[in-house]
Amino acid sequence: MTVLSLPGNTAPAVDYRQLVAEYGAPLLVLDGDALRIQYRALRAALPRVELHYAIKALPHPAALAVLDQMGASFDIATRGEIDMLRDLSMDPRRTIHTHPIKKDSEIRAALRFGCTTFVVDNPDELQKFSRYRHRVGLLLRVGIRSKDAVVDLSRKFGCTPEEAPFLLAQARQLGIHVKGLSFHVGSQSGSAEGHCRAIRICAEIIRESRAQGIAKLTVLDIGGGFPVSYDAVVPDIDAFCAPIREALAELPGNIRLLAEPGRFLAAPAITAIASVVGRAWRDGRRWYYLDDGVYGAFSGQIYDHTHYPLNTLPAEGELQPSVLAGPTCDSIDVIAEDIQLPELAIGDLVIGRMMGAYTWASASEFNSLPIPRVLVVNGPVAKPTLMRVA
Amino acid sequence: MAERVTETLYDAYAQQFSVDEKLLEQNSQHQHLLIFENAKFGRVLTLDGVVQTTEGDEFVYHEMMTHVPILAHGEARRVLIIGGGDGGILREVVRHASVEAITQVEIDEAVVAMSKTYLPNHSAGAFDDPRFTLVINDGFAFVRDSSEQFDVIIVDSTDPIGPGEALFTQDFYAACKDRLTPGGVVVTQNGVPYMQLDEVCNTAARFSRLFADWHFYSAAVPTYVGGIMTFGWASDNAALRRVPVETLEARYRAAGLRTRYYTPELHPASFALPGYILDAIGKR
Repeated sequence: MTVLSLPGNTAPAVDYRQLVAEYGAPLLVLDGDALRIQYRALRAALPRVELHYAIKALPHPAALAVLDQMGASFDIATRGEIDMLRDLSMDPRRTIHTHPIKKDSEIRAALRFGCTTFVVDNPDELQKFSRYRHRVGLLLRVGIRSKDAVVDLSRKFGCTPEEAPFLLAQARQLGIHVKGLSFHVGSQSGSAEGHCRAIRICAEIIRESRAQGIAKLTVLDIGGGFPVSYDAVVPDIDAFCAPIREALAELPGNIRLLAEPGRFLAAPAITAIASVVGRAWRDGRRWYYLDDGVYGAFSGQIYDHTHYPLNTLPAEGELQPSVLAGPTCDSIDVIAEDIQLPELAIGDLVIGRMMGAYTWASASEFNSLPIPRVLVVNGPVAKPTLMRVA
Repeated sequence: MAERVTETLYDAYAQQFSVDEKLLEQNSQHQHLLIFENAKFGRVLTLDGVVQTTEGDEFVYHEMMTHVPILAHGEARRVLIIGGGDGGILREVVRHASVEAITQVEIDEAVVAMSKTYLPNHSAGAFDDPRFTLVINDGFAFVRDSSEQFDVIIVDSTDPIGPGEALFTQDFYAACKDRLTPGGVVVTQNGVPYMQLDEVCNTAARFSRLFADWHFYSAAVPTYVGGIMTFGWASDNAALRRVPVETLEARYRAAGLRTRYYTPELHPASFALPGYILDAIGKR
């Protein structure tokens, strides 16, 4: 992995042309300091909550190593993610497995790794843990629909609050330890209203199940959904989390709190650099063909419903209606239409910001085009090498 | 503060070690291996975060796994060890001069090499014994495909969740039976019942379909946390489980053994199981 060391708060000062001259385009610049800033901000906003980074957002070894050094825990969902953590010698006790639906082989792989926290949301899934009941502590995922999340995650997963007592009773009958609840209101939430409603519903389930002696729940995982500013401005994280802190304060005592931030930590960490490889005039608009597109790092435009802040180098010049297209032969591969841009020449650059989350992670090699390279700046601090005996 | 290693076996309970010195850490073939030095237990080997063996308490496990079947049998000439790459079982087997041939089947040659380097006291030179043959192969494949016969088979496996999974199956036990001489005995590592009761239940169900006599015996290995651990015992010769103490005493003396955990008096006593285990295996 290429590690380029740049001084402190580098993002605005980076000479993108220089980077492209040195490393080629397209190029993704992953800035470890952006991860550190986001991690500190969320920790400060939710001081009582253990942050489990949702690896899926940006499963890059350097990002994991930086967050590990910051003290983050990890949210894993697949065996591939486990293998990444193992390769980095990360502590399995700081992981939770959050995929509500999994094969037995996935459960065994996670157990072998040393992860003992799993998430279930239905009777079949609960049954899968019967043979591992002596080893695991489960979280029951409750589905609470949110109107204002960009990506609604309670449609696909989560039992209803009404089903929860029955599942808890079933677990008790099977001798399986359910230690807590989890929910995920969705990704990129517009407000914390969904979180707060979910916390209050979960608090009620916790109280009721304790009162009726069904289960002693001591963990609440409040998921993710913490928003970042793409094209629209969102509240700063401390303000966003203020009502969440209030809702958490109302929980019964002795509840361990977890969260699974992905986007919030990763999004600002990558700046994408694409270069103009071709131009055309069509229908009165300037078309620029780039070497990165929706099958590459801009895949988040399709899967994550996100539009990234873009600017060009050079930035000056008379604006004209323009289209930015990706490098593949597919007509869906268009990054921006009706965008006002200055006249660009072949070799000029388009810079995409806030491109760390669900971008590189879902990039493909369609058209046999390689996934853009990642250049790490301000990466993990080198670990001292292990002393070996002969 | 010194680094600490916490075992990852159970969600609700764990043992923790202080690490005085890390000696080896490897990530290979989807497996994490760590050897470190601990003030109480000496060198500790963990695989995927689970304690496999320590210099401090390995004698309990290796003596009970070896001397119970060999002294009960009384005429063991050929011994098969499945797994046991650290050489601890082998070290105890070679102490029996009456044993003529020892075959060990280990799936991973690197485990043997690593153990010789980092856990030399486990094998204590036993890998060089002239009666010894090391086979690098899958233990299941070996017992299935071999035509050799053994008086005693010792299955020194890892946890059933992991590479040792096949060594807990009905097919494996059936193949072991085929490899036994008439009246031979197979013993298996069978986990800590207080923590994993299913393991004895599963083994009991499988043994009962194959062997005329089966049971479990126990020992307390400090770093296999959760109380006593059990060893599976299976044979078609029920008399092997009822050898009088006097006979064991005589065999023990004849073998010139001096052991730290095993004693002839403890041998039959180790087959006396607590009620909760007898209930689980349907013997009460």
